[in-house]
Amino acid sequence: MGNYNIKEMAKKIKEIRKTAEELQKLGGDIEAVKKNVVRLLSSTAMLELNICDISDLV
Amino acid sequence: MEVSPHMKKDNIYWNPVMETLPREKLRELQLRKFKKIFEWAYNNSPFYKKLYKDAGLEPGDIKRYEDIVRVPKIDKGMLRDVQTRPPFPYGDMLAVPLSEVTEFRQTSGTTGTPVYQADTWQDWDWWAECWAYILYAQGYRDTDRLFIPFGYNIFVAFWACHYGAEKLGCEVVPGGVLDTEARIMKMKELRCTAFGATPTYVLGMADTARKIGIDPKTIGIQKITCAGEPGASIPTTKKRIEDAWGAKVYDHIGATEIGAWSYMCTFDSRGLHVNEGCFLVEIEDIDTGEIIDKPGKNGKMIITAFDRKAKPCIRFDSKDVIRWADYDCECGRTFRMIDGGVVGRADDITKVKGVLLAPTAIEEVVRSFAELSDEYEVVVSKKGDIDDILLKIEIKPEFEAQKEGILGRLKDELRVKTNLGYKMEVHPYGSLPRYEVKAKRFKDLREH
Repeated sequence: MGNYNIKEMAKKIKEIRKTAEELQKLGGDIEAVKKNVVRLLSSTAMLELNICDISDLV
Repeated sequence: MEVSPHMKKDNIYWNPVMETLPREKLRELQLRKFKKIFEWAYNNSPFYKKLYKDAGLEPGDIKRYEDIVRVPKIDKGMLRDVQTRPPFPYGDMLAVPLSEVTEFRQTSGTTGTPVYQADTWQDWDWWAECWAYILYAQGYRDTDRLFIPFGYNIFVAFWACHYGAEKLGCEVVPGGVLDTEARIMKMKELRCTAFGATPTYVLGMADTARKIGIDPKTIGIQKITCAGEPGASIPTTKKRIEDAWGAKVYDHIGATEIGAWSYMCTFDSRGLHVNEGCFLVEIEDIDTGEIIDKPGKNGKMIITAFDRKAKPCIRFDSKDVIRWADYDCECGRTFRMIDGGVVGRADDITKVKGVLLAPTAIEEVVRSFAELSDEYEVVVSKKGDIDDILLKIEIKPEFEAQKEGILGRLKDELRVKTNLGYKMEVHPYGSLPRYEVKAKRFKDLREH
């Protein structure tokens, strides 16, 4: 089993969420931004499920 | 013990950290995630808020793992009921604005009125994520070409498998509106390495392939993932499929209202892992309602999906009968195993002539007879006060001459396995109904 820096990964994922949410605000009513950020945030949620949720348990 | 030769133990996990988390940490994660989905449902779904308020519960009341049993269960009847009330079409169970719903599916209706299921895009991504855990554990990699011989309709069936396989990087071939012959030809033409279908249809496809002069074993399929019916966890059915296709067969269990929650891995086909990072599975004693933690005892599954937001699934009484395994899998996953998959349905195990009967037990016997076709049908009726049980079978043409001997052995074997005597009806080979999706082979015509 490899050694993984889970805490650092979790930190980066949080930054991705923050950046995506900021982008959503900046996008205003541009649908092409809004809807693509929804997909970006969904993928981010899957990273959170896999990494952030367990980062303090390992 | 079966280990795929191409698998190294350091490359068998979709998420090596989650899947090998020590049990006590996993338990801690599950409690934390249960609290989160409970709070989400309480704050966003009027249905759940009322249910929990009526039970005197609110967020903050779930402090310890043991508190989870205080949370009221839901069942399919409640799901059916809620969708008859406004707002259309999901009732007041929906926990997101309708504008965020991107997916509609419905249950197959095998046990009654179909239940509508709403998912957001994130929920759908989560479905695919759960399937990625399944497929990776079953040896699927980005070098696989996966054929999906499924109708791509309102049933979730292999939709999520498709998206999960894409997530893994597999090349996915949608076998949508093609008929069975065309599907077989396309799998052969494209040299597909794997496919997924119900066990019934997998056997039916093998039959069709032979009829058009193709030995299924020559197509090059290496693995098959089954769903929708318990067949791939029934050793005799699994063997039949593996012999027909010359491929490894793996089971997975999921449901429209729940998600894809359990899977066989490449190491041990006696049982299936529960994806405990995404689901909480509790087993409840059917008679006492007590939670069963010890292995080997059958009970009803109560399940929670931690990350499904639009229509949360919290302590859903699935009526599936399962039991914890008394063995660990050598794959190293700490996710607990259920022994033999779903062994029955709490509302399916029925009394015939005063004896408890699970239809899967009949299948196990029928499929162990190489002289019989893959199809059969069981009809339970009442003649006066006496239950009558009829088994319809097909004998393969080359064994017709041995009919009497086969029937005698079949009756004996069924009596040993199910404690019941059966009337037998032999039908011409190929005449019993063939199913593409969920088979309906057990018919109870008695008035209840």
